[in-house]
Amino acid sequence: MKNTTNTYFDLAGGSPNLRISGFGRFGIFVAFGLICLALSLITPNFLTWSNLTIVVTQVSINALLAFGVTFVIITGGIDLSLGSMVAVAGVVAASFAHPDTYPVVVPIFMGLLAGVVMGAFNGFVITRSNVPPFIVTLGTMTIGRGLALILSKGRPISNLSDSFNFIGGGQLLGIPMPIFILIILFVICAVLLNKTVLGRYMYAIGGNEQAARASGIPLKKIKMVVYTLCGGLAGIAGILLTSRITTGQPNAGAGFELDAIAAAIIGGTSTSGGTGTMAGALIGALLIGVISNGLDLLNVTSYYQQVVMGVIIIGAVVLDSLNHKK
Amino acid sequence: MKLLRRIGITFLSISLLAACSQSTSSDKSQEGEKIIVGATMLSMQNEFIVNVHDEMEKKAQELGVELITVDAERSALKQIEQVESFIAQKVDVIIMNPCEVEASSPAIAKALAAKIPIINVNSETSTKPSAFVGSDDVESAKIALKFIAEKLNGKGNILMMQGYMGQAAQIKREQGAKEILKDYPGLKIIAQQTAEWDRAKAMSLMENWIQSYGSQVNAVFAQNDEMGLGAVKALTAAGLKNKVIVVSIDAIPDALQAVKKGELDATVFQNAQQQGAKAIETAVKLAKGQPYDKATLIPFQLVTKENLAKFQ
Repeated sequence: MKNTTNTYFDLAGGSPNLRISGFGRFGIFVAFGLICLALSLITPNFLTWSNLTIVVTQVSINALLAFGVTFVIITGGIDLSLGSMVAVAGVVAASFAHPDTYPVVVPIFMGLLAGVVMGAFNGFVITRSNVPPFIVTLGTMTIGRGLALILSKGRPISNLSDSFNFIGGGQLLGIPMPIFILIILFVICAVLLNKTVLGRYMYAIGGNEQAARASGIPLKKIKMVVYTLCGGLAGIAGILLTSRITTGQPNAGAGFELDAIAAAIIGGTSTSGGTGTMAGALIGALLIGVISNGLDLLNVTSYYQQVVMGVIIIGAVVLDSLNHKK
Repeated sequence: MKLLRRIGITFLSISLLAACSQSTSSDKSQEGEKIIVGATMLSMQNEFIVNVHDEMEKKAQELGVELITVDAERSALKQIEQVESFIAQKVDVIIMNPCEVEASSPAIAKALAAKIPIINVNSETSTKPSAFVGSDDVESAKIALKFIAEKLNGKGNILMMQGYMGQAAQIKREQGAKEILKDYPGLKIIAQQTAEWDRAKAMSLMENWIQSYGSQVNAVFAQNDEMGLGAVKALTAAGLKNKVIVVSIDAIPDALQAVKKGELDATVFQNAQQQGAKAIETAVKLAKGQPYDKATLIPFQLVTKENLAKFQ
């Protein structure tokens, strides 16, 4: 089995060590390091334990979405429904999270299920029709937003139990819960992508779908799994967000898909498929989070923040690509 | 090109579907003499707007008015198209909850040119409509800032969370805040930033602010409750809530709950019920050619723990 998958892997094109090693592209790590260094020199409030835990907590939701969409982009697809899945999962979880109703596993399970079902729906339509993922997920983006509004009747669902609110707001050993969740899911996703046959199939499909099909990779099955996985991660992100702000908001998550896709691409995932790493997605998400945090610390006005953010993101990716060429 | 066309078709079919479902509810009555009011709302994803609309429905039912509601989804362009279709449907009166001050204005001109009276509810446009029903956002911020000034005895550092930059509510609430600050030279805004009316964004912003201003800040003024509640979450988590006053605007149910618990120090009540009801009342008067008020201004009220009961 191992041998055959390696053959598929070679079909994917490009140099394999780039994709296998978690830290294939150094440029973005250098850029990230430079930005952190700059921020810690400019403001004394950046490099403190409390600020760093805050940044990672804030980043966790976007990072989970970036992990999910990295799987999808590696197979050559895209998912625009991430933000809507976050909202649906959040609203569903919140409806089961009122105090003294269900034990906390129920809202978690239901929120996760909502994400999984929506992701599976994406996968189902994409694999059974010739409609491009861009259009299918654009559709589910609208459907999801509508569902979230229907389920919540257009209003935030509040009054959630303490145990539910602990998921996003609690601490364990002085470390916020979202950080634990982030680390655990990062490890799972990285292992899935780098150490399993499934992960190799994903690269193979994204690298060259025709070749992958010719070599007998079950395309539909893998794509189905990938979109479902992405939905599941969006579901967890939705639970985390709902717990963090202690309300299920039907309009939550609007635009999250763009941040997540940006994080994945900043981290070196190619939009044409076949390349990308989880470590890259994590760094991409951290980069966006650190810039936003830094600009707030420095009290850069709102108008300039957006410009600066855009410039730094482009700069980081350019630096990465220059570094990559050498 | 093909892709673009497909996107176009998708959008078209989605909006057609949406249009269908919204008009079916109004097909029931065909008595003919009923007053028909077309309403286009800024966003039915916004709790306050949903509340205004609920009151409009209630009042419409009470007065036997047929109300057709469409959601502009924050797009002025869409709103103009919706008003155009109301004109084509020959409704008796149009109620518009404008998306933008300037960009929604052409809708007013179009309705007036078609001799259909149009009412602005909740916020304004630069072109004057037949009538306006709402509140003056400048006043709401003045009330909030006065409360902060009194609590701090006119001295202290304030952080201001701004709404979506460039929207009428953000501009006016900021204007109101700054007008009050002129009277209190001891009060200073040490930082201001947008959190786009959003609770999660406000929480992150507050967390970041605590890192740089945690020791200096005395009060937070959030331009809406969602953001105020986000600030409260972050301050509570950092153990700073009892040192920092948080005041916001709108008095949404969550905010009232927070005032009750003593987490949010005050909110400013914008009367959704009155706005919705008065809008329909004015519409009926316009349709029947009765005398009406060109501007119905519904006052804001400060809500604190002391007078909370009145608002729940």
